[in-house]
Amino acid sequence: MSESTTTKLNAESHLLLDQPLLRLPHELLRKNFKASQRHVEREREAVLASLRTTANSALTDEATPPQTLASLDNMITRMQGLKRKLESLHGEEKCIHEQSRKRIQHLQDLYEIPSLVDVKYDEWSRVRLNRLLVDYLLRNGYSASARELAKGRGIEDLVDIEVFAQCNRIQDSLRKGSTQECLAWCQENKQSLRKNNVKSHVELVATKITNIPAKSNLEFELRLQQYIELVRTRQPQKLYEATQHAKKFLAPHKDTQFGEISKAAGLLAYPSNTSAEPYRTLYSHARWEHLARTFVQTHHNLLSLPSRPLLHIALSAGLSALKTPSCHSSYASSSSNANSSTTSVCPICSTELNELARNVPYAHHTKSYVENDPVLLPNGRIYGRERLLQMSAKVGMPDSKVKDPTTGEEFDRSEVKKVFIS
Amino acid sequence: MDNLQKENERLSKKSNLSKSIDDVQATIDLLANARDSIRLLKRLLTMSADPTSASITLAKLQNPVKQSFDKVNEDLKDVHSGLTKYQKALDKKFKTTPFPTTEYDALASHPSLINRAIAMHLLREGQFSVASTFLSEVAADPPPSTHAEHPSEQKLDLNSLGSESLQKQFSEMYHILHQLRNERNLLPAIEWARSKHEALEARGSNLEFELGRLQFVWLFMGGGTHANTGNALNGPKGALAYARREFNMFQDKYLREIQNLTGALAFLPNLQGSPYNRIFYNDSAWEEVANSFTREFCSLLGLSADSPLYIAATAGAIALPTLLKLASIMKEKKTEWTTQDELPVRTHMPLYEEGSNNTH
Repeated sequence: MSESTTTKLNAESHLLLDQPLLRLPHELLRKNFKASQRHVEREREAVLASLRTTANSALTDEATPPQTLASLDNMITRMQGLKRKLESLHGEEKCIHEQSRKRIQHLQDLYEIPSLVDVKYDEWSRVRLNRLLVDYLLRNGYSASARELAKGRGIEDLVDIEVFAQCNRIQDSLRKGSTQECLAWCQENKQSLRKNNVKSHVELVATKITNIPAKSNLEFELRLQQYIELVRTRQPQKLYEATQHAKKFLAPHKDTQFGEISKAAGLLAYPSNTSAEPYRTLYSHARWEHLARTFVQTHHNLLSLPSRPLLHIALSAGLSALKTPSCHSSYASSSSNANSSTTSVCPICSTELNELARNVPYAHHTKSYVENDPVLLPNGRIYGRERLLQMSAKVGMPDSKVKDPTTGEEFDRSEVKKVFIS
Repeated sequence: MDNLQKENERLSKKSNLSKSIDDVQATIDLLANARDSIRLLKRLLTMSADPTSASITLAKLQNPVKQSFDKVNEDLKDVHSGLTKYQKALDKKFKTTPFPTTEYDALASHPSLINRAIAMHLLREGQFSVASTFLSEVAADPPPSTHAEHPSEQKLDLNSLGSESLQKQFSEMYHILHQLRNERNLLPAIEWARSKHEALEARGSNLEFELGRLQFVWLFMGGGTHANTGNALNGPKGALAYARREFNMFQDKYLREIQNLTGALAFLPNLQGSPYNRIFYNDSAWEEVANSFTREFCSLLGLSADSPLYIAATAGAIALPTLLKLASIMKEKKTEWTTQDELPVRTHMPLYEEGSNNTH
């Protein structure tokens, strides 16, 4: 194994964790574009129609000149409104372009680093860790910490604080039993949501990594919850509203959600304290938590965000790559011993990660690094003779004694045995 | 990457909404002109009251407005094609890159342990304010407990982490490092090393002497002008006085090094051409001492010098391509590896192998 193959940095395959960095702004950009398209389409229809009728009524003398002028003014106001909306979307668009540019540049930087042992790689990797940390904090709702960290490290353009802030807000509102914010979000993303149900790559990923089927229809679930809340009251007026609601919002889904709709119909016959299934589950407050989860799932799918924090992925891969069977052995490791004269760099043995690393598989270590001229100490530990003597001399041992650099035990030189590897 | 940069530039320079906005303004202008001319006509013709002229203006307006809207749509089409091109560049870029999945997420069921690791990472990186924000946010909204968790895992409070004392220790460390790196003031570090003399000795650390030697060199070169000389004389004389005062304790172990330092006096007029050049003109000496100080400081706390979270995450990024390849091969062949809990591939860990002072 030559040095160059181990330390060469292959940027292409190294970007595994960074795809969402560029995917997300692009999804936002598309959403932004769709919004502008929608606005233009709406105003186009309205203004053209109104222009036609105004012209016709002017021609047939139905409208007086002041009326004609008023409707022209009205059209102009509409168009000015459209312009304002487009301007604000354009402002957002510009921010996203700039942000994407910086992100591409950040990834480009990696291509210019030749080796993993380069100082620049170290810097780059620290930025990445901070990005992963912010992502983790945001996903877990620790927004203040995330903001502070991003600001302190100057990586605000490389993380998506606002996106997660909105996501967390809606998630919280669902947990508190309100469907309103989430329905507004569904309305806003109607087009993409419909498409998403047949869309290729995002969905593939979604089915692979989650138990929730990708087809799970967030909006239907929300409407069903509204229905359940109406039925829960048991007031005749509300029950009537519930049936109206079901006709309007649930029935259109009968092709895909027939089972759910039948259950919903059955619900009318049971009070909220029923112990009969499946009605008990439908009435259960845990359903709100389920909605919150479904929403986050749908949200992340839509924006090409992985469903779990990338930090988990990086850490578990890293931990299993580094872990050796001796990491959790009961033998003393250098980091647990203040008398030790070595400093362990093994992250698995560190106070911070030791417990966490218990849960990942071991790495495959086909090569052992054995020091030259190994010798055995009475406590069963093996060191290279030269290094052992050097270190003993360094800590001021007399010539006739050696000190175990890991445990700090002292032995006579005569107790040291040479080891032959067979 | 070049392609992405190019497409991104196209979007920000050309394929964006600015043209649509211009064309919406053009539509507004059309309508406003028509309104103005009708208003003018109305004023001129109030006597004769001929409404047909207004209707003519309006009839003439139909097509231009429609065309103007068509133009806006054309503009939007350009934005759309820019977006499509960018997306293609993205897809191409990541064609061979699997979307990160969570098949390796062995950690999801231990949120408290992760939080703990993050809190410690922030503390050791000197991000005290973020760390304290984080600890209070976690305390206010603790992660839901999972089945796999040991009950003791969930207690991420100030006490279990010892975060207050850790924070105190680390702020001391950063204070000393700041003095050392930015102010070229070794005294706080020397003082700390002296207070930990026995522990450092037991570890066989050279730190105390390294600090003293650097202080000598620094005085010798006349570095001290401020109060940070510790009231000592400056220049070679000051250095010598410092050596007489402080180096006694190092005599047994570092006699040769001390002789090297004092021997330099003989070459004073031309130190750079002397064999002592290396000791006295070493630019990286400060950074080396700073690193060795950090290492010793962390070791005495039972921590490694670099953040394990950083090492593990970096190792993960390096190992991931191999691990994902393995996963896809196993999926294809529908096999599983038999050795329990051990991965069947080796991943290259340059970072790790470099830390040669650790052997398992």
